[in-house]
Amino acid sequence: MVEISMTVNGKPVTAQVEPRTLLVTFLREHLGLTGTHVGCDTSQCGACNVHVNGMLAKSCTMLAVEADGAEIVTIEGMAAPDGTLGVIQQAFQDHHGLQCGFCTPGMVMSAAALLRENPDPSEEEIRAFLEGNLCRCTGYHNIVKAVRAAAEAMG
Amino acid sequence: MTVAVHKPHPHDSAPLHVSGKARYTDDIPAPAGTLHLAFGLSPAARGRIRRLDLAPVRAAEGVVAVLGADDLPRPVDLSPAHAGDEPLLATGTVHYLGQPLFLVVATSHLAARRAARLAGIDIAGEKPVLTIDDAIAAGTDLEPPLEWRKGDAEAAIAAAPHRVRGRIEVGGQEHFYLEGHAALALPLEDGGMEIHASTQHPTEIQHKVAEALGLPMSWVRVSVRRMGGGFGGKESQGSALAVACAIAAWKTGRPCRMRYDRDDDMIITGKRHEIRIDYEAGFDADGRLLGVRFAHFLRCGWSTDLSLPVADRAMLHADNAYHLPHVTIRSRRLRTNTQSNTAFRGFGGPQGMMGIERVIQHVAATLGKDPLEVRRVNLYRPMAAVAAGEAAQTTPYGQPVEDSIIDALVDRLAREARYAERRAAIARWNAGSPVIKRGIALTPVKFGISFTLTHLNQAGALVHLYQDGSIRINHGGTEMGQGLNMKVAQVAAEAFSVPVEAVRITTTDTARVPNTSATAASSGSDLNGMAVKAACETIRARLTRFLAERHQCPEEVVRFSEGRVHVGTNVLTLAEAARAAHEARISLSSTGFYATPKIHWDRTRGQGRPFFYFAYGAAVSEVAIDPLTGETRILRVDVLHDVGRSLNPAIDIGQIEGGFVQGAGWLTMEELAWDERGRLLTHAPSTYKIPVASDRPRIFNVALWDGENREPTIYRSKAVGEPPFMLAISVHQAIAEAVAAAAGVPFVALDAPATPERIALAVRNARAGENAP
Amino acid sequence: MYAFEFVKPKTVEEAVAALREGEAKVLAGGQTLIPTLKQRLAAPEKLVSLAGVEGLRGIRTGDGVVEIGAGTTHAVIARELAGAVPALAALAGDIGDPAVRNRGTIGGSLANNDPSADWPAAVLGLGATVVTDRREIAADDFFQGLFTTALEEDEIITAVRFPMPKTAAYAKFDQPASRFALVGVFVARLDGNVRVAVTGASENGVFRWQAAEAALGADFAPAAVEALAPPPAEEMISDLHGAGDYRAHLVKVMTKRAVAACG
Repeated sequence: MVEISMTVNGKPVTAQVEPRTLLVTFLREHLGLTGTHVGCDTSQCGACNVHVNGMLAKSCTMLAVEADGAEIVTIEGMAAPDGTLGVIQQAFQDHHGLQCGFCTPGMVMSAAALLRENPDPSEEEIRAFLEGNLCRCTGYHNIVKAVRAAAEAMG
Repeated sequence: MTVAVHKPHPHDSAPLHVSGKARYTDDIPAPAGTLHLAFGLSPAARGRIRRLDLAPVRAAEGVVAVLGADDLPRPVDLSPAHAGDEPLLATGTVHYLGQPLFLVVATSHLAARRAARLAGIDIAGEKPVLTIDDAIAAGTDLEPPLEWRKGDAEAAIAAAPHRVRGRIEVGGQEHFYLEGHAALALPLEDGGMEIHASTQHPTEIQHKVAEALGLPMSWVRVSVRRMGGGFGGKESQGSALAVACAIAAWKTGRPCRMRYDRDDDMIITGKRHEIRIDYEAGFDADGRLLGVRFAHFLRCGWSTDLSLPVADRAMLHADNAYHLPHVTIRSRRLRTNTQSNTAFRGFGGPQGMMGIERVIQHVAATLGKDPLEVRRVNLYRPMAAVAAGEAAQTTPYGQPVEDSIIDALVDRLAREARYAERRAAIARWNAGSPVIKRGIALTPVKFGISFTLTHLNQAGALVHLYQDGSIRINHGGTEMGQGLNMKVAQVAAEAFSVPVEAVRITTTDTARVPNTSATAASSGSDLNGMAVKAACETIRARLTRFLAERHQCPEEVVRFSEGRVHVGTNVLTLAEAARAAHEARISLSSTGFYATPKIHWDRTRGQGRPFFYFAYGAAVSEVAIDPLTGETRILRVDVLHDVGRSLNPAIDIGQIEGGFVQGAGWLTMEELAWDERGRLLTHAPSTYKIPVASDRPRIFNVALWDGENREPTIYRSKAVGEPPFMLAISVHQAIAEAVAAAAGVPFVALDAPATPERIALAVRNARAGENAP
Repeated sequence: MYAFEFVKPKTVEEAVAALREGEAKVLAGGQTLIPTLKQRLAAPEKLVSLAGVEGLRGIRTGDGVVEIGAGTTHAVIARELAGAVPALAALAGDIGDPAVRNRGTIGGSLANNDPSADWPAAVLGLGATVVTDRREIAADDFFQGLFTTALEEDEIITAVRFPMPKTAAYAKFDQPASRFALVGVFVARLDGNVRVAVTGASENGVFRWQAAEAALGADFAPAAVEALAPPPAEEMISDLHGAGDYRAHLVKVMTKRAVAACG
């Protein structure tokens, strides 16, 4: 077991973990942050996407020990402390960018990363950026629409 | 004016989904001491278990118990068809590579999985039956071939001026619901069992768990809050996990949970049925089909599961939207040593339609006609003509088609999508393009709505009106992302004329609404919406009677509208009405029930009215291919789809878009592969490709047909879950057109999925004159 | 995953020392190694993370050379080389997906030498030099077949030095599910010669297609490739994603595309 410390959604966290513990396992099982999902085990689906020091990362393809000292943001950290949804979250809701919702947290985290580096992406750029996020329900049409709408709303 | 239905409310769980608060089965916090399960899987596809040494598994770190088939309290058959061929754990022989052999119960998910690999397994292997050809050779039919006949197809074909014959092979499809299978069992103090499961069929899980534990069904309670996608894959195949959890919980007295990791999910569970269709058709100079014969061969996998009704539905959609005066459909359901294929959106219907759409394309190429012309001369007689007194044409199974709007729908779509102009433009473009070729196709869909097992067409609901005017509803349907709960809440809100926010929908629960059917066959809103409406109307009638009495007025003057209860000139809130009724000791709770009328079906004879009504739609797809590499791009898709009077247009359009893309995935990129030992090679999304955002059509126009169901369904809407899936057949047909253009031939027999490699090969073969039949 | 020890040295020397004790493996970005560990295809006793080692990240250009620190992520390369060497930036920007590119590194990719990885094509195609803690290895000597390189067990790549090409391009045909290369061809025009490196296709990993190099050396145009026979199909990988002859055919098509993209 090794001791790790990190900030998760603004709160400091310290824990003992086995080195082989994945970051996603740590978030879900140790911290109870079950909004981060596991949809595959091979780094394709993006349901486990989180931000590590402001960068999009697949938490199923990262060890918790690698996140030692890092700032992590998960889907649970995307709304305001009073629960008010962020612009991207609201856009996914308003534009029906979800059905079963299982991919949604990862999509929102990807969309946030995209809009941070490219505040006004074209549809083409949105589609390209979402290559690593699988959705089996929506056909992506409304997801792309939601990201575009969020970009516009953030102006 | 409606207050709640026919409006585009977002999914009721959307705020939870976007904030990560929505709980799926594996997110439910479990009590301390919860154990975790994993199956040990067969390393061979077929053979006899000579030795199963579980001692190393038992000795592994964290392992609490290990159960083989002999350790179960009683033999467990998971077969949804009660076929007796689906033991929870293999008994003596194994039937596919990945079949659960034993069950590990451990202190963590990873400990269980690690231990499951440690067994000493010795199987006396036999040569597995893997492919359709293997199965035909071995004669492994699940039941004798089924044949339905209308008229005399053989004679009609023989007498026809033109004939085609050929074969199409269409691969299976992995569901790839983003949330894998999961279950949680909580043993109760009195020996009962509470189950949470990611399932489309809680009642079946309840039934199987009760059977496995030797309990009455009333002692088992199954709840489903939501699934992360189902698509049919969770209709029957979740039983293994739930039953395993229940048995382990019963044995250990501790809560038990289980989830399949993605590779286990893909290796263990069944998929869409692969099909081979041999066809022969006779037709006249206009392309009118005079006689058609189909032979279906379905790869069913190792157990019966739902294969018989799936294969039936393939036969039931062998006509798609076309009147076939003389037709014979023969179907063989073949057992193979692979995963047990199961329900998947369309339930065989898409496979059946691929046959007739291929026939149309083949006929058109033979006559040198636009396939749309051939489609038009064969479409079923319109509803308007039938209403005006012309005889309804019948399906191959004898059901009169009385509600067809497909001709008008196709006309409108062809016009709005400028099909004819674009087809001409594409021909010109192809003539001048040295490499890249385009293709366009318009295909229709007519999909039958109802379970073909007639007794499944029923639903129950439970509605409570509280004294503050708030409403809580339960129904037998399950939410898997399709927006069922929102639609049903809209129905309840409409009944009391209150905003949809006043209605709270809760977990699907066998203790609240019993004896439910699977949420499947696109029937969720049709059945459960009606059941909820019935319950609401019962309560409303009680309120009406009570208010009329209290205000000394006839019942007719009591109205629920615009969020208020009007009693003549008195206006009450629903809360005031409810409180007053409660104080007068009027029950504000009711069950509701619905059974679909008019339907009856004899599957052996292939005769009856299996479907209450048909849902229609059509799509125009335009694609470009690079024949050098086989790469495809969907340039534009136009869809016009019939959902009757939509309960919720936003949800319905979402179903259409999602269904279309999933269908396009099936026909263009999703390819399952097994090696010669029967090992599934595509058991992860790194090897099995599903559509991503960039695969979506460049232009994607979806419109709803403006009409209403002629049958008295819930607010005259139509079912929407499955039918749009088959709109994607237009993509496959467009690709085949482009391949033919690239090869400079009129027709190419393109199989599915039309992967780049298959397209490149088809072009090469067609150029070399090696066209199929 | 099997259990392992995790160490995070601060210098290359410490990392090399850590690698010498027991069955150890270097952990760079982890985008290949962690999935490999999860599938239990590897069972190291120790992971030596390079995340804390100073000086492994960053890009330096000058004197006709681009030197990329081994710990530089694909995302950084895609962003920072877009102007200087667009072919490398484009290659980096098309690896995996954004999340993978944020963590995966050039050094990790090269040390792993997956037969379908993109970086080996660029390194071999440009005749780059692989710089390690103890020596410099020419690309032609570095790649030694499937998942095999000239690296010693305890050797760590610290940087990769690319010569600035006159023009270069990478054309990739994705294995659609994994987004690795089913076939990827890197074509470069350097002083006096043309190099063509192919990844994804061969049973022996990345290779130089010498027939194409000769043809393009004489006439740098897609038509020069058109006249060539594709590489022998029997030497190509044949799997569920593509038969050997399809891959061989794609090598030719992608080479032409890369040449055309060189402009």
